[in-house]
Amino acid sequence: MNLKLIKDTLIIAALKSIPDFKRQPLMLFMIGLISSIPLFFLLVFGGQISYGVVGAIVSTISFIGIAAAIQDVTWDRYVKIREMIVAMPVNPISYAVGVALAPLLISAPSLIFFMAIALWLGILPLSSIGWLIASLLLCWAALSGIGFIISTYLQRASVYTLNNLSNILGLGLIFMPPVYYPEELLGGLSWIAMIFPTSNAAGLIRVYSGSLQLPQEIVIVRWLILATLTLASIVVVWRKAKWRET
Amino acid sequence: MEAIKSDSLVKVYRGKEAVEALREVSLSINKGELFTLLGPNGAGKTTFLRIISTQLSLTKGEARVFGYDVMTQANEVRKHIAVVPQDVQTYSNFTPWEYCYYFSLLRAMPKRKVEENAEKALKAVELWEMRKRTCATLSGGEKKRAVIASALASDADILMLDEPTSGLDAVARRKVWAVLRELVEQGKTILLTTHIMEEAEMISDRLAIINKGKVIAEGTLGEIKGLAKEKFRVVVEGNSKNAKLLQNNNRVVKFGGKQIIYLKDENEAIELVKIALKKGLKAETAPITLEDVFVKLVGGEEA
Repeated sequence: MNLKLIKDTLIIAALKSIPDFKRQPLMLFMIGLISSIPLFFLLVFGGQISYGVVGAIVSTISFIGIAAAIQDVTWDRYVKIREMIVAMPVNPISYAVGVALAPLLISAPSLIFFMAIALWLGILPLSSIGWLIASLLLCWAALSGIGFIISTYLQRASVYTLNNLSNILGLGLIFMPPVYYPEELLGGLSWIAMIFPTSNAAGLIRVYSGSLQLPQEIVIVRWLILATLTLASIVVVWRKAKWRET
Repeated sequence: MEAIKSDSLVKVYRGKEAVEALREVSLSINKGELFTLLGPNGAGKTTFLRIISTQLSLTKGEARVFGYDVMTQANEVRKHIAVVPQDVQTYSNFTPWEYCYYFSLLRAMPKRKVEENAEKALKAVELWEMRKRTCATLSGGEKKRAVIASALASDADILMLDEPTSGLDAVARRKVWAVLRELVEQGKTILLTTHIMEEAEMISDRLAIINKGKVIAEGTLGEIKGLAKEKFRVVVEGNSKNAKLLQNNNRVVKFGGKQIIYLKDENEAIELVKIALKKGLKAETAPITLEDVFVKLVGGEEA
């Protein structure tokens, strides 16, 4: 991997985040606030706070993974900034990763806030932070890849269609599978939790926090599924990320 | 030396109905010239520019930039070009400075050079004083100039500008023209598309008229104007009955109470003006414009 590829990735991440940071600092709280809504209801109606906090952590990273990837790429195409970047000596992979990294930076304060709460309330032991970060990064990479694939294949769809689609997918992946609720609630269908990157990551975090008991081999299988999903989406992006339109 | 060359370039957009956007387009653009691609809406100007700038695949033929094939050596081509797309919009949170700064950083320039170029480019488009204002607070013309500045700051050898002045007022447009001519004086090559006749007439070294995907005329302004048989136009305004007496066998275009009569010879034109004035009509003569030739060629009339 050459140095320019990495440098360009960081420049694109910076250009997609720093001006927004500077001029719209309120956006730093937005993602966190949205993720807090279910937590609020769990608090008010006496649900399990630990599910709400883990859900908020996972949903923060998931929403920015899929929704931001689709919306950013679509917006760049709409304002024709992408055309300007295509005509530069920039690798499409740098663009894809840079676009995915930018919202990760923007959501970092919310993530840190929720992790601090989880540690403070004793929901997560400090020793599990490494596992938590690994599962979140895999979940973010998988969903960003899926977002990028969608925006690549639906190039002719309008910016409004893609925005709606990204929101539906983003919210669907957070609220449908067991991210904010225990997977035991699904009964015999609890295996569904493994196939979604969001609920898989949430399940793994709960395993390391001690609130979900799973046999060791199932934990390994869940890691493998999450890694495979991530790898598959990265491979598709790598192969299909082409600048030139046909 | 040729900066851009296309040979029998064909582009077909596949879909429910295939559309042939470019038909055997062969053009040569020399290094250090401002070449304008002039054509009506949907003529194929943007398609040509997007193929040359490696954004769009070609269907048949060949295109090269500084000898590099746009299909197989796109990365080499991209090192030499900067593009301002048609109807480009701005990120509202960006400042003109950030436009120049970040986009130049992507060209692997050292930071010092990036800053120098950004300053030069913003001064050239007269946005230096506004460099710290966000695009949300700029006028349409200023936003456009901010994007043009980012292309200038790239230090690319070839600038490809797709209708860069559309939507700008006359003052802003002339400022952009002045910047483009200045760049050509500095040795840059510019490929410009436009449907504004005055723009093509004022700033082009050479131009091509493209219609329905085909180049129908190419050359200097003088050469293009030379394609028309008539060299002068007389504009007559007044009583249409009297004006009718002036037409004879000349080509006439009417707009309400005004008519343009095209003539081959200057003396003939002066004579016609005299007759018109005697009849109490308003009349004036001038050499034909690019628009006169363009309308005739694109309208399908024989020049």
